[in-house]
Amino acid sequence: MTEPVLKIFDIQRFSIHDGPGIRTTVFFNGCPLHCPWCSNPESQKGRTELMHFDRKCTHCGRCFQACPNGAISFSPETGPVIDRSKCRRCGSCARVCLSDAMRMTGKEVTVEEVMATVRRDRHYYEKSSGGITVSGGEPFLQSEGLAALLKAAREEGITTAVETTGNVSAESFRKGLGLVDTWLFDLKHADPEILKEVTGGNLSLIVENLKQALREKDSQVIVRVPVIPGFNFDEKSLTGIFRLTLASGGRQVDLLPYHVLGKSKYAQLGREYAQEGEKGLDKKELIPYAAIGQRMGLNIMISGKDPAVIGG
Amino acid sequence: MAVKFDVNGAQNVEVSKKLPCEKPLAEQLEIMEEYTRVHREASNGPKELREIACLKVLYPRLFRKIEDQDLVAGRLDFLPIGFGCVTSVGGVGHYCVFNKLLAFKDQLETEEQKARVDVLYDYWLDHDLKTKYCREVLTEDTIGRFIDVNYPLIATARLSGMMLDYPKLLDLGIGGLRDLLKGKLENEPENPFYLAGLECLTLFEDCAEALAEKASIQSAEASEARKTELLKIVSDLRKIRTDKPETFPQALQLFWLYAMLAGVINYARLDDCLGPFLAKDIEEGRMDQQDAYRYVKCLWTMIENRRTTVNGRVIVGGKGRKHPKEADVFLHTALKVAKDCRYVEPQFTLRVTKDTSEEIWDEAMDALGAGATYPTLYNDEVNVPAVAYGMRVDEKTAEMYVPFGCTEFVIQGQSTGTPNICMNLLKMMTIFMNGGIDPVDGMRKNREIPCPPLSEYKSFEEFYAAYKRLLDYYMDLSIQAQYYSYEVMNRDVSFLFTSLLTDDCIERGKALLDGGVRYLGGTNEIYGLINASDALWAIKDLVFIRKKYTLDQIEKAMLANFRGYEELRADLWACDKYGNDLDTADGMATDLYEYVAKGVRQRGIDAGMQYFLVVISNNQLNTEWGRKTGASPDGRYMGQYMNPANNPQGGANTSGPTAMLNSLAKIDARYHAGSVQNIKFSPEFFAENREAIKLLFKTYFEQGGSHVMVTVVGRGVLEDAVKHPENYKDLIVRVSGFSAVFVNLEADIQQELMSRVLYD
Repeated sequence: MTEPVLKIFDIQRFSIHDGPGIRTTVFFNGCPLHCPWCSNPESQKGRTELMHFDRKCTHCGRCFQACPNGAISFSPETGPVIDRSKCRRCGSCARVCLSDAMRMTGKEVTVEEVMATVRRDRHYYEKSSGGITVSGGEPFLQSEGLAALLKAAREEGITTAVETTGNVSAESFRKGLGLVDTWLFDLKHADPEILKEVTGGNLSLIVENLKQALREKDSQVIVRVPVIPGFNFDEKSLTGIFRLTLASGGRQVDLLPYHVLGKSKYAQLGREYAQEGEKGLDKKELIPYAAIGQRMGLNIMISGKDPAVIGG
Repeated sequence: MAVKFDVNGAQNVEVSKKLPCEKPLAEQLEIMEEYTRVHREASNGPKELREIACLKVLYPRLFRKIEDQDLVAGRLDFLPIGFGCVTSVGGVGHYCVFNKLLAFKDQLETEEQKARVDVLYDYWLDHDLKTKYCREVLTEDTIGRFIDVNYPLIATARLSGMMLDYPKLLDLGIGGLRDLLKGKLENEPENPFYLAGLECLTLFEDCAEALAEKASIQSAEASEARKTELLKIVSDLRKIRTDKPETFPQALQLFWLYAMLAGVINYARLDDCLGPFLAKDIEEGRMDQQDAYRYVKCLWTMIENRRTTVNGRVIVGGKGRKHPKEADVFLHTALKVAKDCRYVEPQFTLRVTKDTSEEIWDEAMDALGAGATYPTLYNDEVNVPAVAYGMRVDEKTAEMYVPFGCTEFVIQGQSTGTPNICMNLLKMMTIFMNGGIDPVDGMRKNREIPCPPLSEYKSFEEFYAAYKRLLDYYMDLSIQAQYYSYEVMNRDVSFLFTSLLTDDCIERGKALLDGGVRYLGGTNEIYGLINASDALWAIKDLVFIRKKYTLDQIEKAMLANFRGYEELRADLWACDKYGNDLDTADGMATDLYEYVAKGVRQRGIDAGMQYFLVVISNNQLNTEWGRKTGASPDGRYMGQYMNPANNPQGGANTSGPTAMLNSLAKIDARYHAGSVQNIKFSPEFFAENREAIKLLFKTYFEQGGSHVMVTVVGRGVLEDAVKHPENYKDLIVRVSGFSAVFVNLEADIQQELMSRVLYD
């Protein structure tokens, strides 16, 4: 059997918000959902993407000359303007760019190549109870590769975490069972209609997979809720999520306040940002909702922190 | 051949400005004339006796009035002519700082006075210690003076970084020291070191009495509360004039006054020296925590007010403390003071071990999180065995290592370690690649070392070996110039106060450079290490592995400062860089480092020194030297700053803090006497993730990291401070081997700081 090739778009070391301790997060490319607030939009289509960083651009025009598809128009004043309908994402422009303003994201790597980076920080994991986190995109879209990577980490004594939308087939999902120490399981809404409409997600699929994860004996499941104004930042929506968590057998919930850190990526990809004008939430704004969850018997955190600490 | 150099040039980094002398100009002139007269008249006798005669001209006269917040006495002025150990306060040996003398002259009103200055100027041209050294050592092409950045190597004479045996001082008191010397004198009644040493102690007593009188006079005018404080100063001074100290204020006074007279600017392991007095005073009810805080804060303020820019070390914690429990009483107080004061000095230094308590770690993180840039953290688990190996001493002795200045290690009370040499490895590379000609000024700087056309190299190994020949040549110069600095200093001076508290001067009856010091050590500051190793990697990769360019093409592009070669430059910059935990670039860095560090160390041993070790520190010389260093094969432009200390070139490390720290930890500490590591976080990130950052540091230390210093500063804050300096008068940053108020730094030094990767 040939070694599976992983489609990823980033590896982030000293990752300290995706699971316990100091971690290395491997971002898998491709996602079945299209959440409008997504902070990694370059992962959504699961392919290489061209990103243009206007701030770094020196308006030299080399990309315009290099493009074989006529997708870039150029004037010294505006710099390059990319016609995304003509761009075939061949990377010619990125290869000639001298200022790193044109960049291709997404690459194919082997499990061993990923592990070569991951194992470099093993001492930090051991000291801090950290490890590897696989995030995305949606890792389970590459369930074979995911399983191979998790196994490789486990074999080297590195603990594992997976951040998932849960929006994959039960069959795919099963490939990860027994290989994950910490599940970071997204539950964005308890109303199947709203979820479907806004994100394209299938709630019953998600809940079935969540239950599978919760049935695992030796792993911890943290239900993660991105709290988004206009979507689920209200008592009814959040209570619904809490209730569904409890019904599925979950106990731990982490509320993640909406942030705008991924916003600039939309412009870099030549896309519209659907949440335009929306401000990020402060952790403190979630404290009342955390209290509701706690009264329902859940263990609630806000961005991985005890709400009592945030309040104080 | 007489070499030309500018005796009037500035001699040291002076970011923090000192207070002007409180004496009228006419009196300052008289003192300098008197000093010069005594120096001239005593020149035929033993240097020891001349030194003490000269010191008596200066002290107690140059003590300033006691400031309202002072709880111990002892503030000094310095004149352009006088005696000292280092350039930062006064000058070296019998000195004249010519640029300051000329500035002094400009302030004078009458021509008669100005003419008197000219007489002094002319006399000291032949007698200033440093000038004499420069005349004998500097060359037109290879060795420049401190700090002439046109040269690949600069050399000076100074006695920097002495840390005295204060435990002995506090244990014996002045009277006890006197008895010790008297006992020695019985066997050698003519020994000039003992004779002059005894006179030093008398001078100490005179100074204590003079300060007591000053305090007494000032108390007459003072408020009731202040009067009590001043009278306490009076009685403490009269106590420690001859007797051993019994209380913390007395111990502090004795230590401080002695340090002032010795002219030292680094203060050793004060927790272990002073902690027992403090703990006892608290235990017996003479002081409470608040008093302790006030006294330590007073010490902090007095150290800050000396404004030495890159010195002022106070060291706490670590292995080898005799009174760890009592020492920690001082340590905790000092951590609080450092956090609140946020002064640029003292350079507050915390040595940690694997047993350092969480409480201490947390207090240290508190101070760092508050933006104090202190404490700077040293890892004893790595440094103690490394010092033992590097300096060839046993582990017990190595436990007494202390960092001074920008990071150089000495053994407290037992060794010299002054860095009298700096070498620019990158400048050497640009000279080597350009056939021996420095591309910046067109001057030949390779002497007889062959630098053949680059097309002759058939392999990377040949190229690298040829570069090493030039490095060898400069390493040879470095040991000669360092060793000679001791000879020149020893010819003229004894550094009496320093010698009395340095092993084994009293035992041997010799001043420290006369054969008295137990471990004659020295250090060599190397610059541009990482630029040079990144350059080597880029050449290996692009020329010899991928064969994308020839050496000639790269050299041509460098000479053009990459104008018209933008693509080539981008390729150079895109090559693997140190600081990303890559075997390629990091392997090259450790290889070049070990070649130079071992080469320097071996030359020290061969010369008969206890140790001569590189330090990878820096003050702001990485930027200043970069201004006169040609474009380099790592993609760095001509005139651009070089990498700071042992850190990556700004912006080259893109793989996060673990990767950078892993790279740093690969530098084997056994071959250097100090290596500085900077890391920068935003306040929000630091506050939110303190536990993770603490574990980051601890893991790094377990993996072999020797040191880390932390700046916590907001994203955009430095940029804004450049635009609106008036809003940031107290913004402190860690430059490398020192902290500074950011807005006082020069523009390109600010740029270099901003280029460093900020984690947020």
